[in-house]
Amino acid sequence: MSRFFFAVTLLIVVMLIVPTYLEACPACKTLDDPISKGFNFSILFMMAMPFAVFTVIGGTVFWHYRRANREPMD
Amino acid sequence: METQNHIDVRERPPLSNARLAILVLLGAETMLFSGLIGAFLVFRVGNVTWPPPSHIGIELPRIVTGINTALLLISGYTMFQAWRAIQKEKVKQLRNWLLITGVLGLLFLGIQGSEWVQLIRKGLTLQSGVYGGIFYVLIGCHAVHVLSAVIWVFTVLGMAIAGRFSAEQYTGVDTCTIYWVFVVALWPILYVLVYLT
Repeated sequence: MSRFFFAVTLLIVVMLIVPTYLEACPACKTLDDPISKGFNFSILFMMAMPFAVFTVIGGTVFWHYRRANREPMD
Repeated sequence: METQNHIDVRERPPLSNARLAILVLLGAETMLFSGLIGAFLVFRVGNVTWPPPSHIGIELPRIVTGINTALLLISGYTMFQAWRAIQKEKVKQLRNWLLITGVLGLLFLGIQGSEWVQLIRKGLTLQSGVYGGIFYVLIGCHAVHVLSAVIWVFTVLGMAIAGRFSAEQYTGVDTCTIYWVFVVALWPILYVLVYLT
Protein backbone atom coordinates (compact mmCIF):
# COMPACT_ATOMS: atom_id res chain seq x y z
CA MET A 1 0.00 0.00 0.00
CA SER A 2 2.78 2.42 0.92
CA ARG A 3 4.52 1.57 -2.35
CA PHE A 4 1.34 2.54 -4.20
CA PHE A 5 1.18 5.90 -2.44
CA PHE A 6 4.88 6.45 -3.08
CA ALA A 7 4.35 5.75 -6.80
CA VAL A 8 1.35 8.12 -6.98
CA THR A 9 3.25 10.86 -5.11
CA LEU A 10 6.23 10.41 -7.40
CA LEU A 11 3.94 10.64 -10.44
CA ILE A 12 2.35 13.87 -9.13
CA VAL A 13 5.78 15.37 -8.43
CA VAL A 14 6.95 14.46 -11.94
CA MET A 15 3.76 15.96 -13.41
CA LEU A 16 4.32 19.20 -11.50
CA ILE A 17 7.99 19.43 -12.49
CA VAL A 18 7.54 18.69 -16.19
CA PRO A 19 3.97 19.75 -17.05
CA THR A 20 4.77 20.57 -20.68
CA TYR A 21 5.28 16.88 -21.49
CA LEU A 22 1.96 15.96 -19.99
CA GLU A 23 -0.41 18.42 -21.66
CA ALA A 24 -3.43 16.54 -22.86
CA CYS A 25 -4.76 19.15 -25.27
CA PRO A 26 -2.63 19.50 -28.41
CA ALA A 27 -4.12 22.95 -29.13
CA CYS A 28 -2.91 24.35 -25.79
CA LYS A 29 0.77 23.68 -26.53
CA THR A 30 1.11 26.65 -28.85
CA LEU A 31 -0.67 29.39 -26.94
CA ASP A 32 0.87 32.18 -29.00
CA ASP A 33 -0.76 30.85 -32.13
CA PRO A 34 -3.92 32.91 -32.97
CA ILE A 35 -5.91 29.80 -33.92
CA SER A 36 -5.17 28.24 -30.52
CA LYS A 37 -6.13 31.49 -28.81
CA GLY A 38 -9.38 31.49 -30.76
CA PHE A 39 -10.17 27.92 -29.75
CA ASN A 40 -9.29 28.58 -26.09
CA PHE A 41 -11.40 31.73 -25.98
CA SER A 42 -14.33 29.93 -27.59
CA ILE A 43 -14.04 26.90 -25.30
CA LEU A 44 -13.99 29.10 -22.19
CA PHE A 45 -17.00 31.06 -23.45
CA MET A 46 -19.04 27.96 -24.23
CA MET A 47 -18.03 26.34 -20.93
CA ALA A 48 -19.38 29.34 -19.04
CA MET A 49 -22.71 29.48 -20.86
CA PRO A 50 -24.48 26.42 -19.32
CA PHE A 51 -23.65 27.78 -15.86
CA ALA A 52 -25.02 31.19 -16.83
CA VAL A 53 -28.22 29.64 -18.25
CA PHE A 54 -28.83 27.45 -15.20
CA THR A 55 -28.09 30.37 -12.87
CA VAL A 56 -30.60 32.62 -14.63
CA ILE A 57 -33.35 29.96 -14.81
CA GLY A 58 -32.69 28.76 -11.23
CA GLY A 59 -32.50 32.34 -9.97
CA THR A 60 -35.81 33.24 -11.63
CA VAL A 61 -37.57 30.18 -10.18
CA PHE A 62 -36.07 30.89 -6.74
CA TRP A 63 -37.08 34.57 -6.89
CA HIS A 64 -40.67 33.73 -7.86
CA TYR A 65 -41.04 31.15 -5.06
CA ARG A 66 -39.49 33.44 -2.44
CA ARG A 67 -41.76 36.30 -3.47
CA ALA A 68 -44.80 34.00 -3.31
CA ASN A 69 -43.83 32.85 0.20
CA ARG A 70 -43.52 36.45 1.36
CA GLU A 71 -46.99 37.44 0.10
CA PRO A 72 -49.71 36.71 2.67
CA MET A 73 -52.24 34.10 1.53
CA ASP A 74 -55.87 35.24 1.61
CA MET B 1 -61.70 26.87 4.13
CA GLU B 2 -58.24 25.45 4.62
CA THR B 3 -58.91 22.98 1.84
CA GLN B 4 -60.10 25.81 -0.37
CA ASN B 5 -56.87 27.76 0.25
CA HIS B 6 -54.85 24.65 -0.46
CA ILE B 7 -56.61 24.23 -3.82
CA ASP B 8 -56.05 27.91 -4.69
CA VAL B 9 -52.32 27.64 -4.03
CA ARG B 10 -52.16 24.54 -6.22
CA GLU B 11 -54.07 26.24 -9.02
CA ARG B 12 -51.75 29.24 -9.12
CA PRO B 13 -48.11 28.23 -8.71
CA PRO B 14 -45.59 31.05 -8.03
CA LEU B 15 -44.09 30.54 -11.46
CA SER B 16 -46.65 29.70 -14.14
CA ASN B 17 -46.08 26.74 -16.44
CA ALA B 18 -46.06 29.07 -19.45
CA ARG B 19 -43.30 31.22 -17.94
CA LEU B 20 -41.27 28.17 -16.97
CA ALA B 21 -41.67 26.78 -20.49
CA ILE B 22 -40.53 30.02 -22.11
CA LEU B 23 -37.54 30.14 -19.75
CA VAL B 24 -36.52 26.62 -20.78
CA LEU B 25 -36.99 27.55 -24.45
CA LEU B 26 -34.83 30.63 -24.00
CA GLY B 27 -32.20 28.51 -22.23
CA ALA B 28 -32.05 26.29 -25.32
CA GLU B 29 -31.95 29.34 -27.60
CA THR B 30 -29.09 30.79 -25.55
CA MET B 31 -27.13 27.58 -25.99
CA LEU B 32 -27.77 27.66 -29.75
CA PHE B 33 -26.46 31.21 -30.03
CA SER B 34 -23.56 30.38 -27.70
CA GLY B 35 -22.46 27.68 -30.14
CA LEU B 36 -22.67 30.11 -33.06
CA ILE B 37 -20.86 32.88 -31.15
CA GLY B 38 -18.24 30.31 -30.09
CA ALA B 39 -17.68 29.42 -33.76
CA PHE B 40 -17.44 33.12 -34.61
CA LEU B 41 -14.85 33.66 -31.85
CA VAL B 42 -12.69 30.85 -33.22
CA PHE B 43 -12.56 32.57 -36.61
CA ARG B 44 -12.39 36.13 -35.29
CA VAL B 45 -9.67 35.60 -32.68
CA GLY B 46 -7.94 33.03 -34.90
CA ASN B 47 -7.46 35.53 -37.73
CA VAL B 48 -4.98 38.33 -37.24
CA THR B 49 -6.58 40.38 -40.04
CA TRP B 50 -10.37 40.67 -39.96
CA PRO B 51 -12.04 40.64 -42.44
CA PRO B 52 -9.71 38.07 -44.02
CA PRO B 53 -7.51 39.32 -46.91
CA SER B 54 -9.92 37.82 -49.47
CA HIS B 55 -12.70 40.16 -48.24
CA ILE B 56 -10.76 43.35 -47.56
CA GLY B 57 -12.84 45.50 -49.94
CA ILE B 58 -16.13 44.53 -48.32
CA GLU B 59 -17.23 46.66 -45.38
CA LEU B 60 -20.24 45.87 -43.24
CA PRO B 61 -22.79 48.74 -43.02
CA ARG B 62 -22.08 49.78 -39.42
CA ILE B 63 -24.04 53.06 -39.33
CA VAL B 64 -27.24 51.74 -40.92
CA THR B 65 -27.11 48.69 -38.68
CA GLY B 66 -26.53 50.98 -35.70
CA ILE B 67 -29.76 52.83 -36.56
CA ASN B 68 -31.44 49.45 -37.02
CA THR B 69 -30.19 48.45 -33.56
CA ALA B 70 -31.82 51.57 -32.12
CA LEU B 71 -35.11 50.62 -33.83
CA LEU B 72 -35.01 47.16 -32.29
CA LEU B 73 -34.21 48.58 -28.84
CA ILE B 74 -37.19 50.95 -29.17
CA SER B 75 -39.35 47.95 -30.08
CA GLY B 76 -38.25 46.37 -26.78
CA TYR B 77 -39.57 49.45 -24.98
CA THR B 78 -42.88 49.40 -26.88
CA MET B 79 -43.32 45.69 -26.10
CA PHE B 80 -42.74 46.43 -22.44
CA GLN B 81 -45.37 49.17 -22.61
CA ALA B 82 -47.82 46.67 -24.16
CA TRP B 83 -47.16 44.32 -21.25
CA ARG B 84 -47.76 47.12 -18.74
CA ALA B 85 -50.93 48.22 -20.55
CA ILE B 86 -52.63 44.82 -20.20
CA GLN B 87 -51.71 44.70 -16.51
CA LYS B 88 -53.71 47.91 -16.14
CA GLU B 89 -56.60 46.48 -18.22
CA LYS B 90 -55.95 49.02 -21.02
CA VAL B 91 -56.73 46.79 -24.00
CA LYS B 92 -56.73 49.59 -26.58
CA GLN B 93 -53.25 50.68 -25.52
CA LEU B 94 -52.14 47.04 -25.63
CA ARG B 95 -53.27 46.79 -29.27
CA ASN B 96 -51.50 50.03 -30.23
CA TRP B 97 -48.23 49.10 -28.54
CA LEU B 98 -48.31 45.60 -30.07
CA LEU B 99 -48.93 47.09 -33.52
CA ILE B 100 -46.00 49.51 -33.11
CA THR B 101 -43.77 46.67 -31.90
CA GLY B 102 -44.68 44.46 -34.85
CA VAL B 103 -44.12 47.28 -37.36
CA LEU B 104 -40.73 48.11 -35.80
CA GLY B 105 -39.78 44.42 -36.04
CA LEU B 106 -40.77 44.34 -39.71
CA LEU B 107 -38.80 47.55 -40.31
CA PHE B 108 -35.74 45.97 -38.70
CA LEU B 109 -36.08 42.92 -40.95
CA GLY B 110 -36.63 45.08 -44.04
CA ILE B 111 -33.52 47.20 -43.42
CA GLN B 112 -31.46 44.10 -42.70
CA GLY B 113 -32.76 42.44 -45.86
CA SER B 114 -31.78 45.45 -47.99
CA GLU B 115 -28.30 45.40 -46.36
CA TRP B 116 -27.93 41.74 -47.26
CA VAL B 117 -28.86 42.40 -50.89
CA GLN B 118 -26.14 45.08 -51.09
CA LEU B 119 -23.58 42.80 -49.44
CA ILE B 120 -24.38 39.94 -51.82
CA ARG B 121 -23.93 42.34 -54.77
CA LYS B 122 -20.52 43.28 -53.37
CA GLY B 123 -19.53 39.61 -53.32
CA LEU B 124 -20.12 38.61 -49.71
CA THR B 125 -22.04 35.36 -49.98
CA LEU B 126 -22.47 32.24 -47.89
CA GLN B 127 -20.00 30.42 -50.12
CA SER B 128 -17.45 33.23 -50.39
CA GLY B 129 -15.50 32.02 -47.36
CA VAL B 130 -15.46 31.76 -43.59
CA TYR B 131 -16.25 35.48 -43.20
CA GLY B 132 -19.41 35.34 -45.30
CA GLY B 133 -20.43 31.97 -43.91
CA ILE B 134 -20.27 32.90 -40.24
CA PHE B 135 -21.80 36.33 -40.91
CA TYR B 136 -24.88 34.99 -42.68
CA VAL B 137 -25.35 32.04 -40.30
CA LEU B 138 -25.08 34.14 -37.13
CA ILE B 139 -27.01 37.21 -38.29
CA GLY B 140 -29.44 35.08 -40.32
CA CYS B 141 -30.23 32.92 -37.30
CA HIS B 142 -31.09 36.04 -35.34
CA ALA B 143 -33.18 37.36 -38.24
CA VAL B 144 -35.19 34.11 -38.26
CA HIS B 145 -35.81 34.61 -34.55
CA VAL B 146 -36.95 38.19 -35.11
CA LEU B 147 -39.27 36.97 -37.88
CA SER B 148 -40.79 34.32 -35.61
CA ALA B 149 -41.14 36.93 -32.84
CA VAL B 150 -42.91 39.30 -35.26
CA ILE B 151 -45.34 36.52 -36.28
CA TRP B 152 -45.93 35.85 -32.58
CA VAL B 153 -46.57 39.56 -31.88
CA PHE B 154 -49.13 39.80 -34.69
CA THR B 155 -50.79 36.59 -33.46
CA VAL B 156 -51.04 38.11 -29.97
CA LEU B 157 -52.36 41.33 -31.56
CA GLY B 158 -55.08 39.30 -33.28
CA MET B 159 -55.98 37.70 -29.98
CA ALA B 160 -56.05 41.13 -28.31
CA ILE B 161 -58.43 42.43 -30.99
CA ALA B 162 -60.62 39.38 -30.35
CA GLY B 163 -60.72 40.39 -26.67
CA ARG B 164 -58.89 37.35 -25.34
CA PHE B 165 -56.80 39.22 -22.75
CA SER B 166 -57.58 40.92 -19.46
CA ALA B 167 -55.63 42.11 -16.41
CA GLU B 168 -56.12 38.66 -14.86
CA GLN B 169 -55.53 36.57 -17.98
CA TYR B 170 -52.63 37.67 -20.21
CA THR B 171 -50.32 34.66 -20.52
CA GLY B 172 -50.02 35.14 -24.30
CA VAL B 173 -48.78 38.71 -23.89
CA ASP B 174 -46.50 37.68 -21.04
CA THR B 175 -44.66 34.90 -22.90
CA CYS B 176 -44.48 36.95 -26.10
CA THR B 177 -42.92 39.86 -24.17
CA ILE B 178 -40.28 37.61 -22.60
CA TYR B 179 -39.37 36.17 -26.02
CA TRP B 180 -39.28 39.60 -27.64
CA VAL B 181 -37.04 41.01 -24.91
CA PHE B 182 -34.68 38.06 -25.39
CA VAL B 183 -34.47 38.68 -29.15
CA VAL B 184 -33.93 42.42 -28.59
CA ALA B 185 -31.31 41.92 -25.85
CA LEU B 186 -29.36 39.46 -28.00
CA TRP B 187 -28.98 41.81 -30.95
CA PRO B 188 -26.60 44.45 -29.42
CA ILE B 189 -24.22 41.62 -28.44
CA LEU B 190 -24.22 40.30 -32.01
CA TYR B 191 -23.91 43.82 -33.43
CA VAL B 192 -20.84 44.61 -31.33
CA LEU B 193 -19.26 41.22 -32.05
CA VAL B 194 -19.88 41.02 -35.79
CA TYR B 195 -20.01 44.65 -36.92
CA LEU B 196 -17.75 46.55 -34.52
CA THR B 197 -14.89 44.18 -33.64
